Amino acid sequence: MAILLDMRRGKEQKNKWHIYEEIGTEMSHFNLSAEIDRYAYTNALSKNSPVTKLLFALSLLLISVLSPSPVAPITVFLTSTSLILFCAKIPLRFYLRLLWYPTLIVALTCVIIALFFGYQEPLAEVNLLGLRWIIFRDGVATGFTTFFRVAGALSSQFFLVLTTPMTSILLVLRKARVPKIIVEMSLLIYRYIFVFIEVMETMRIAQELRLGYSGWLKKLRSLSMLIGNLFIRTLDQGERTFTAMSARGYDGNIRVLEDLPKPSNVALAGIIFFAVALAIIAYLTMDLRIV
Amino acid sequence: MLFRLENLSHQYSDGTLALDNISLSFAKGERIALLGPNGSGKTTLLLHLNGILKPTSGKVYFEDKPLEYSPKALLELRRRVGFVFQDPNDQLFAPTVKQDVAFGPLNLGQPADQVKKAVDEALRLVGMSEYAEKPPHFLSFGQKKRVALAGVLAMQPEAIILDEPTSNLDPRGTSEILHLLLRLNKELGLTLILATHDVDMVPLFANKLYILNKGKLVSEGAPAELFSDAELIRSINLRSPRITHLFEVLKKEDNLPINPRLPLTISEARKEILRLLESGRREKKKRTTA
Ligand SMILES: Nc1ncnc2c1ncn2[C@@H]1O[C@H](COP(=O)(O)OP(=O)(O)OP(=O)(O)O)[C@@H](O)[C@H]1O
Ligand SMILES: [Mg+2]
Repeated sequence: MAILLDMRRGKEQKNKWHIYEEIGTEMSHFNLSAEIDRYAYTNALSKNSPVTKLLFALSLLLISVLSPSPVAPITVFLTSTSLILFCAKIPLRFYLRLLWYPTLIVALTCVIIALFFGYQEPLAEVNLLGLRWIIFRDGVATGFTTFFRVAGALSSQFFLVLTTPMTSILLVLRKARVPKIIVEMSLLIYRYIFVFIEVMETMRIAQELRLGYSGWLKKLRSLSMLIGNLFIRTLDQGERTFTAMSARGYDGNIRVLEDLPKPSNVALAGIIFFAVALAIIAYLTMDLRIV
Repeated sequence: MLFRLENLSHQYSDGTLALDNISLSFAKGERIALLGPNGSGKTTLLLHLNGILKPTSGKVYFEDKPLEYSPKALLELRRRVGFVFQDPNDQLFAPTVKQDVAFGPLNLGQPADQVKKAVDEALRLVGMSEYAEKPPHFLSFGQKKRVALAGVLAMQPEAIILDEPTSNLDPRGTSEILHLLLRLNKELGLTLILATHDVDMVPLFANKLYILNKGKLVSEGAPAELFSDAELIRSINLRSPRITHLFEVLKKEDNLPINPRLPLTISEARKEILRLLESGRREKKKRTTA
């Protein structure tokens, strides 16, 4: 039943986005984040302890970024990716769609690093339009390592956002004694971001259908009106939400039910062991020459 | 009397006189409908009942005592009288359905296991148990409305105020909510006070009807009484239930011998049609034997 409903919803969403495509607005980043959010709640690991997943993702992030050689980051990338694909059962297509844009940018950056940085041991000489250009070994090594560091970091963070519902992350933050105001604000922002995306999409379509975006002057005017309206809407929404919360006994404290799944000791021990092993690998491969 | 309003007026800060000298009383266990066109003051009136708005003049009595506005008294009042808002997006603020429904009971200081029980029970009542862990933005509008109702039911109130509970719902959703409300009223004795401009729904739901227009109380009584006054209904830009209108036309234009108390619902209409057929048949028989 739930699956059926999900499928039906999926279809509705698609239809909705289809409209945008026809009208030609650029809402793709909105629906991408909405889709990430959806996977966070429906993936095969969503019911596992968020503490475990948070710990896992953060330790892998640190190791990836700090590792001097690409061996540890490559291991991180392969581990996160297999967890995402085989344990959380996120479709490969979707994961690639997420990865490919940042990867492209990082790859370009790293090529630039490889070509323009470094000063030891010339590796090659190229003739570029009559200019002599020297590529250095350490430049190439840095470019290479940087690429994998970022790839490892990215994949570990994708693991977190794709497998862990925002709600449970907030509950963990609360448990970790992050200041109340930050947690409560994030909680409300998370909820109402989706309301406002909907409001904004509706207003924008309404403008679009009345030809508010034909010609750049009109476009500018329509957009500024939209932003102004949205601002007023947020103030208004704040007041109405406060009223509704008061009607259920709100006294300045948002209380929540804490019923997070308990982290399993085996999983925690495994993560610690894995992280330590990776750190050792990173240390041992410090002087590894890759080119 | 559960609630009594005495010469209640309310003026918003921009000068709009939203309620103009209203006096009425709601008894326990009743199913009350406030009917009125857009902007007639229904929401404003309801917001006075649980102390969210204060009257600019006049008084609100709860169980024959004047309403107190101290935080403690308000919490107690809001525990006993729940409020379901017109737009569920105003009400659902928590990141999951379950957390949202738990908000009220937690504010009452109930222990966690009791809260969990209340949440499960409330979600079961509105048929949303499957969605407990979902964030509200995954739900359809009608589903959000039900969750909003569950959030109030979980506080186990004695009375529920509902602002347009069926607006924007499809026919199926409307009838489900309606049946749920009727069941709550019948089985738990909940008092229901509901604002609407859906005239077809009123006779199915209410045993007491109040009609508002431009901030004034125009008329009160049993739905059947009020709807038989077609002039009054039309003068304030509302209409009779469709089925009633049909019988009005049949009576006036086609001179059918229809009961002056016009049917308001399908089941009443069915009875009336059967009665007409029966009397027609008898007439015919009489004529053939004569
Ligand atoms: N916050 C406010 N500030 C100023 N005026 C308001 C405010 N809220 C409502 N009003 C005005 O008060 C009058 C009554 O509004 P109210 O919302 O009570 O009507 P309603 O019967 O609930 O209408 P609807 O069927 O559209 O929900 C309207 O004229 C409205 O414009
Ligand atoms: Mg209203």
